[in-house]
Amino acid sequence: MTSLVKRGLLLLALVLALAAAVACGGGGGEPGPEASPTVLAAVQVSYPLTIADTVGREVTIEAQPQRIASLSPAATETLFAIGAGDQVIAVDKFSNYPKKATTREQLDAFEPNLEAIAAVQPDLVLLFYDPGELAASLERLGITTAVLGSVEETPESVAAVFDQIRLLGQMTDHVQEAEELVADMQGRIDAIEEALADVEQGSRIFHEVDATLYTAAPASFVGGLYKILKAQNIAAEADQPFPQLSQEVIIEGDPEVIILADGDYGESPDTVKARPGWENISAVRNDRIFVIDPDIVSRAGPRLVEALETLAEYLYPERFE
Amino acid sequence: MKLFGSATRAEELPEAALSAMLGRALWPRLAVGLAVLLGVALLAAAIGPVAIPADAVARIILSRLPGVSLADSLPQSWQDIVWEVRLPRVVIAGLVGATLAFSGATYQAVFRNPLADPYLIGVAAGAGLGATAVMVSPLDASVGGVSLVPLAAFAGALTAVALAYALARVGRTVPTVTLILAGVAISSIATSATSFLMISHSQRVLTTLTWLLGGFNLSEWSKLWWVLPYVLPAAVIILLHGRILNVLQLDEEQAQQLGVNVEQVKLLLLGAASLATAAAVSVSGIIGFVGLIVPHTVRLLWGPDHRQLLPMSMVVGAAFLILADMLARTVNSPSEVPVGIITAFCGAPFFLYLLRLRQRAVF
Repeated sequence: MTSLVKRGLLLLALVLALAAAVACGGGGGEPGPEASPTVLAAVQVSYPLTIADTVGREVTIEAQPQRIASLSPAATETLFAIGAGDQVIAVDKFSNYPKKATTREQLDAFEPNLEAIAAVQPDLVLLFYDPGELAASLERLGITTAVLGSVEETPESVAAVFDQIRLLGQMTDHVQEAEELVADMQGRIDAIEEALADVEQGSRIFHEVDATLYTAAPASFVGGLYKILKAQNIAAEADQPFPQLSQEVIIEGDPEVIILADGDYGESPDTVKARPGWENISAVRNDRIFVIDPDIVSRAGPRLVEALETLAEYLYPERFE
Repeated sequence: MKLFGSATRAEELPEAALSAMLGRALWPRLAVGLAVLLGVALLAAAIGPVAIPADAVARIILSRLPGVSLADSLPQSWQDIVWEVRLPRVVIAGLVGATLAFSGATYQAVFRNPLADPYLIGVAAGAGLGATAVMVSPLDASVGGVSLVPLAAFAGALTAVALAYALARVGRTVPTVTLILAGVAISSIATSATSFLMISHSQRVLTTLTWLLGGFNLSEWSKLWWVLPYVLPAAVIILLHGRILNVLQLDEEQAQQLGVNVEQVKLLLLGAASLATAAAVSVSGIIGFVGLIVPHTVRLLWGPDHRQLLPMSMVVGAAFLILADMLARTVNSPSEVPVGIITAFCGAPFFLYLLRLRQRAVF
């Protein structure tokens, strides 16, 4: 796995080196951050393009894809954000953002039907999960397929997301837009980090994934976001990314803020307040229970920053509006 | 045809001899059993992922008595943990364990089948379907203060059993073999529907799977009201039928000749056991193994007479599930392990050990 990641990074380094070379040769000016978007415009992806997807398969894309089937909600969001939305002809049923994506043909990412995918005649299929041999079967049908793994269990969330955005930019020949998106996201993350520069230690938090008390530990993607916000995760001792905490551990951990990612399934600040034994938890006493859209905190897409900004507002209301 | 043979050997002993043995043995044994059960419950109340000293636990519990206040100096979080989280957990685990065990003993006796457990004719599969349907829906967790998951589980369990019973009916009788087959068929329909719901709501797989494996992490005192109104009357009814269950171990025709209204007794006992199990499952999820193995363990240890098998199964089932739940919250602390995994993983080896120890095989 690590060698595969390395390969991806190598490729990335190559693109950046190329960009730098173009910058130096072209204007002779300094390749400052403001200059980079225009400079990168000169980077034209030349097909056939061979990349390594996140599970290490070598994927060769013959020409700029025009009929993409995206079976990954995160990839769908990214494609639309980098201006490749028009190249998307089909999405999976969880690809609910942006609105425009829902007008595309719908496929199933968890129980994918080979025939249904082939029927939309895609020239590129993006998966975030291969339920066994799907990629190989699609390749046998002559359909180029790339697996962009889920980052749910990747605590280094930001870096992983940027990698995937850049990779999609390359694959679809939207390198410049991808770089611009990454730069915008990085800028907003920097602004948050700057605003929190003097914070030693943030609030104790409990992030509720579901009502049976599954949570997101520091080893998860969501956990990585809380690390950026300097929050103290009360599930820090758990070794799995998504452990089911004992109720008494939550009471003893005394979270100051509770974030509910299960609002769609009937949980709300009121239901939390009504739980016996929870009435003396700081977050309950101080009414600091918030609901967050689970989609934005779990997808390796452009809305990662939105998640971060929303959480920052919940955790530091005095610093963010 | 071992499968449908006699579960017990009660018929091998004359009734009078059995009675005499029982009279000598049951009460002291039951008293010791209850004392052990109380000890287990206190131990479980004192042990958990949050380390609270045993004397603090004792003070918190005693302070609930009127006029006693020993816990004022203790952290509020400890008081909440012991009283609102751990104790309800212990009490409900005990109640569910007792229910599964006496229901299992009843099922095994009525079906005269050693493989019978209280899930045999659809309770578990029906409850699982009901609970899953609510868990994957965007419905609120509770409506008017009534939690929907236990309600749906309870309704699903009773619907499945009622369907199986109706389908197995032949004229005025319900042959047990037909009832088992109908129950198994209904169960597979419900199970496949549950699987479909889980697959098509994949983002909820963890939640539904955890419920299906059973656990007490979300126990609270109010859940007693889901269980007690069904379990108490069922337990009384079944305990009063110990002698009749002994007679039922004979041929059904012979039992009829001895003056037992077999069809009526079967309906009453299966109804009581199913209702109690449905209530237990609705708050705990589907905890496997307890209802199957606890009655066999009791039988191996103290013999097949239902007048002692039923009460002792209750005590052993309660103690066993309380201990299993203690492990569920401590072995992977601060995370939970579904208790159904513990009951099978730890209980089965112990049972096999007993089986080997006692050379007289039950089956």
